Amino acid sequence: MSAPSRSKGGLPLFQPIRDGWNALVARLEKTQLLGRSLLWYITGWRLGIIALILAVIYPQMFDDSYVLAGCIIAIYVLLALGLNIVVGYAGLLDLGYVAFFVIGNYTYAALSRGYLVNSAKQVVPVPVLSFWWLLPLGALFAGIAGVLLGAPTLRLRGDYLAIVTLGFGELSRIFVLNVPYFGAANGLNAPPAPTVHTPLGDVDFGNFIDHTNFYYLTLALVVIVTLLVNLLRNSSLGRAWVAMREDETAAAAAGVNLVRTKLLAFATGAAIGGIGGILNVALVPSITPDQFTFNISISILVMIVLGGIGSIPGVIVGAIVLKLFDQILLNNLNDYVHGSPLVSNPGAPLHFLAGNDFNQEKFLLYGLVLLGMILLRPQGIIPDRRRQREIKEASSVESASAVGVLAIEESGDTLAGLGSAPDVTEYVGPGSDAQGREG
Amino acid sequence: MADGQTLLAVNHLTKQFGGLAAVDDVTLDIKRGQIFSIIGPNGAGKTTVFNLITGIYKPTKGEILLNGRSIAGKTPDVVLRNGIARTFQNIRLFNNMTVLENVLVGQHAKLYGDLISVIFRPPYYRNAEKRALDRAMELLAFFGPQMVALKDEYASNLSYAYRRRVEVARAMASGPQLLLLDEPTAGMNDSETAEAVGYIRRLREQYGVTVLLIEHKLQVTMNISDQIAVLDYGKKIAEGVPAEIQRNEQVIEAYLGRKAATA
Repeated sequence: MSAPSRSKGGLPLFQPIRDGWNALVARLEKTQLLGRSLLWYITGWRLGIIALILAVIYPQMFDDSYVLAGCIIAIYVLLALGLNIVVGYAGLLDLGYVAFFVIGNYTYAALSRGYLVNSAKQVVPVPVLSFWWLLPLGALFAGIAGVLLGAPTLRLRGDYLAIVTLGFGELSRIFVLNVPYFGAANGLNAPPAPTVHTPLGDVDFGNFIDHTNFYYLTLALVVIVTLLVNLLRNSSLGRAWVAMREDETAAAAAGVNLVRTKLLAFATGAAIGGIGGILNVALVPSITPDQFTFNISISILVMIVLGGIGSIPGVIVGAIVLKLFDQILLNNLNDYVHGSPLVSNPGAPLHFLAGNDFNQEKFLLYGLVLLGMILLRPQGIIPDRRRQREIKEASSVESASAVGVLAIEESGDTLAGLGSAPDVTEYVGPGSDAQGREG
Repeated sequence: MADGQTLLAVNHLTKQFGGLAAVDDVTLDIKRGQIFSIIGPNGAGKTTVFNLITGIYKPTKGEILLNGRSIAGKTPDVVLRNGIARTFQNIRLFNNMTVLENVLVGQHAKLYGDLISVIFRPPYYRNAEKRALDRAMELLAFFGPQMVALKDEYASNLSYAYRRRVEVARAMASGPQLLLLDEPTAGMNDSETAEAVGYIRRLREQYGVTVLLIEHKLQVTMNISDQIAVLDYGKKIAEGVPAEIQRNEQVIEAYLGRKAATA
């Protein structure tokens, strides 16, 4: 695929690494299984089915600490899918996405208590809203907040928008920190997700010993949101988002209402963030403002860049990879390193690592991962076709494909056979592209 | 062709950029069914007139009336909904979208872009998408079988002349009453220019669209236009049928004369 075109440019220092990577990709592509490239089997809807089956059997295979990690991973997959709408589709760089996560968290924590504090600081009892009501309500509140953030920033683009949204993210944290109703610095406790009585028996979503049911709940929401995002992407609205990202003026001249289209991107992205927040607070029994730092916004952004901006399977994989890293791999790395005789014995050469907690170096490791990614595969793990083109075009002024088409055009009669862009290989496009665009 | 009814009336239109009047008291009267050209040397304010009509700039003074209703100061998408579509001097396609998607975006105003429709896809949404797809294919077919064959090609992969055509198709997709073409033959060779002149005429015949044209190539304007207005330094210095413009001394001095001097 893009391997040969990437071999020019970049730091020569990394050329051996790049060559090795390219050779690996080339080998994977050549691996034939029943006449197809191996990668053909693990992309598009096939990848989705395989991933879903793995996700469903996952809690049956691991103990509960892993299931809990799975829940957190699934929540971050939701957040990444939400931010991808704003950044990936509409091209609006949002560095304050944590704000919507905060709104989801505090919606559930505050409204599930059964009282409000009015302006005279009197406690007013209100009906206790259940998890199932607050799930859509949290999405709604976050969506409204998305519009409120979007409205004043409509005229901003790029870096300017990033700075304002960054401020909005910090604002949300400082707001809950200073409002007694939200528990200020002490935060809030929230009831776990409730037990549901069904004719087939009770399903307990709030069990702190066994998170399997809650895991399946978050997984179900991930599946629903993924399908919804796919619908949005392959719709008139999705086209308008991409058109707006490509050229705002031309999109407006083609009839796209920029205000509405931008606000819808902010609102849907935010609503998904709100759902993530509600799930988060139902999972971890208490929240405090200091959990909701800028780092969350950044890690979600890193997830979508890592996975492939604008690509649904990409951002899902990006979120899983990054969260696996900090939920599971770092802890295992700690155990492994601390247990190794090279470290644990006093006087051993690596004994200085004995007191080291690799969780502390999380962001250093994120940074290294991101750096490696930018050098080796800037389009992400599973790139979006359009984004891949953009990156390619930026890296090579005269793209080979354009020359190809011009050549074909001159020969005239071969034109009819020109079906797809020459640079799009089967394995790049997520299945959703092929299925949905015209349907 | 023209039936004498005014489609677009531009009255005393003025646009100031700081102290500079890019467009100064310009009045135009474009009749339904006309091909109306605006010519003038570089910097005469032609594109600014387009940007004012399509809502990219807001006029400092003056009226813009489409079918007698004011559209001055409206946003570009509202202007398009009212029936004015345009192309740009430096082709502005959505490069990382396919040809077909570009033409579909051109019909956005006729489609349902709200969350409910997009998620639940009720029959009215699907019918509108179907109609949009049909119209897009029809417009591509209008530009010939090669264009249809290129429908799934990314816009940036196309040659210059094809990119121009896609942009016209995108503008026509909305079914406008008035089509604004900003130098549709710029950078084209003679045969491509002839083709462009051909399709502009066919657009009027087949779709009944009125065309407002900015054009630098005089043989094109003289050949195609029903009426020509000449701008110089933001002011309209002449207006008339091609034969009158060719004889107009002020025009020859401001436009042709200057061009002859530099050539």
